[in-house]
Amino acid sequence: MTSRRPTIFITGASGQIGRGVLHRLLGADPAVQCVVLARDVSAWRAGAQDVPASRVSPVRGDLLLPRLGLDQPTLRQLAGRVTHVLHLAADTEFSRPLEVAREINVRGTARLLEIATGWAELRGFVHVSTAFVAGRRTGPIPEAAAMHGPGWVNAYEQSKAEGEELVRASSLPWSILRPSTIVCDDISGRVSRRIVVHRALRVLHHGLASMLPGDESGTIDVITRDYACEAIARLAMHRGLENRTLHLCAGAAALPLGELLDITFDFWAETPEWKRRAIDRPALTDLATYALFEQSIEETGDRRLRGIAASLSHFVPQLALSKQFDTSGADTLLGAPAPSVRSYWVRMLEYLLASWEQPAARLRYRKEVAA
Amino acid sequence: MNAARASIAGISYAFPETSRSLHQLAQAGELSSDPALLSSFGFERVHVAIAESPYDLAVRAASRLLAEHDVDPDSVDVVLYGGAPAATAYAPGGDGGPGHERRWHGMTRFEFPGARLQYDLGMTRATVIGLDQFACSTLFGAVRVARALCAAEGARRVLCVSADFFPADAGREAIFNCTSDAACALLIEGAGERNRILAGEQATKGYYWQCEEKRAEIVASYFPTARHVIERVIEHAGWRREDVDWVIPHNVSARSWDILLGLVRLPRARLWGANIGRHGHTLAGDNFINLRDAIDDGSVLPGQRLLLFSFGYGAHWSALAVEA
Repeated sequence: MTSRRPTIFITGASGQIGRGVLHRLLGADPAVQCVVLARDVSAWRAGAQDVPASRVSPVRGDLLLPRLGLDQPTLRQLAGRVTHVLHLAADTEFSRPLEVAREINVRGTARLLEIATGWAELRGFVHVSTAFVAGRRTGPIPEAAAMHGPGWVNAYEQSKAEGEELVRASSLPWSILRPSTIVCDDISGRVSRRIVVHRALRVLHHGLASMLPGDESGTIDVITRDYACEAIARLAMHRGLENRTLHLCAGAAALPLGELLDITFDFWAETPEWKRRAIDRPALTDLATYALFEQSIEETGDRRLRGIAASLSHFVPQLALSKQFDTSGADTLLGAPAPSVRSYWVRMLEYLLASWEQPAARLRYRKEVAA
Repeated sequence: MNAARASIAGISYAFPETSRSLHQLAQAGELSSDPALLSSFGFERVHVAIAESPYDLAVRAASRLLAEHDVDPDSVDVVLYGGAPAATAYAPGGDGGPGHERRWHGMTRFEFPGARLQYDLGMTRATVIGLDQFACSTLFGAVRVARALCAAEGARRVLCVSADFFPADAGREAIFNCTSDAACALLIEGAGERNRILAGEQATKGYYWQCEEKRAEIVASYFPTARHVIERVIEHAGWRREDVDWVIPHNVSARSWDILLGLVRLPRARLWGANIGRHGHTLAGDNFINLRDAIDDGSVLPGQRLLLFSFGYGAHWSALAVEA
């Protein structure tokens, strides 16, 4: 049976990237049909009222279950209909124990590969990974298979790297997209989802970060959600991507850590009340010294500092592991690189500062720190 | 300021007769942290005044200094007197002993220890200035003022004295540092050749004046500000980082020094840290007591380049670049 319309099976369609990708897919090609995997179909429908039901149908299933919990009729229907898989679902929490992170990022991927292997119409399996499968590697990072070597900073990175290996080993027409860290929605600087980067900025703003690992010239790669969604949507059904790995990263437009901190502290210093505090930029140091500092905080710091150090510990080592992501493949296919970080970083800071000044945000921050 | 020519011509110090081990302090309930943790930070013993007053130690340190360097008391132009806890350093008569609070009434409130020291040691020409609010960086403040007096007023000899006692009911630990009672005296000379002060730096951050409320912020700001001050003093001395032969520390946790040395990229072997265990943190006197001991034990040789750094709650970061 041959499907007349391209049909994309999407996992993670309700996530940070998934929703934006779905809208773009539907907008780009009126013929596209989507099937989204949803744990709770009612909840999906309630949250997707802006999505035309005639073109997007949810199926109840779960990456945590064998064969995704899909019944045989559904599996048969998908097998005869799906032309593309877009695997966006992931457990993105950095602090999970490895075995927990593997549940979705590795075993969930394996379950999806297993069922998709029997889909006769399948033309492409796009696995959305992360640029940070590179883990502790430094220097130029090619758009290629992750090389084993110095390991990873957190279980998220490792489990995503392991998931990629499964995809590469499959017989499917796979391609892998590796977005960088998403810090804001678009170049307006709006932040609709807070991540550890924003928590770190808040801590810096409060003068509670003594030091960070890294050096002045080490690049920090971040992107906008808008860029990631646009790139993924455009590449999801792109022909000729088979067995390719692409970086959705700032690449050459990434800024050095020192410059990012300078821009950040200069911006905050525009507020006289903040400037009066004379809060120094955190000292940049090597990982060994930072580890000593973390140990010292653990032994002697008050509850607040210990909480902060712990909450950042699964992220900050990356600051010292400077990477220059090659984006030539993605840039060529997309026709343009990711927006320059300089074009939105200050706007993002403006947005964050305004939001921190809201009483509700202050309360939330205090609770986070206290926890 | 950094062009002012001055040198540390002499250093003397005095400890009380009694000392206590970490174990003894723990048994007496004088520590708030696990002694094993404090031991891992390098602390072993501290000096505890039982019979002595701050003034007793101050006069002992200052008279020893004058004797050791054969200084005619009449040749001293200025006495700078300070101490970390102001309430004891400035107690009438400077003795800070039991019942001194009562003497804050009436004219006795003006019985200052600096003037008493000038009289007791016969420094009849010397004028006296009291220094306050520098906490553990008091002697750095004194050196700064002394250099300025040498440059601006032509002072030839300035005697800087600090007498620091930890309050009797405060235990023997200050934020994971074990504290000693001590006094230290420095002789600053405008024309000295040994221990020439090439540069001095001080950063004060008033935002941190509420030490208890801002405790976490102060801990966080300690290292980056320390690094700035150290880098600036090295630059103003005309040195490169690798020119520093010895870091003469204040005797706070050795762990914090490991971190700070990592930040300023100086090897641990350049830290003269032997006194952290032997004496603990003597508040304002640390760096200069250490400098004296490092000279006496032959570690510091003439011509070597020394970096002294201290932090005083309140909040001051201070550093000196000294050529031995």
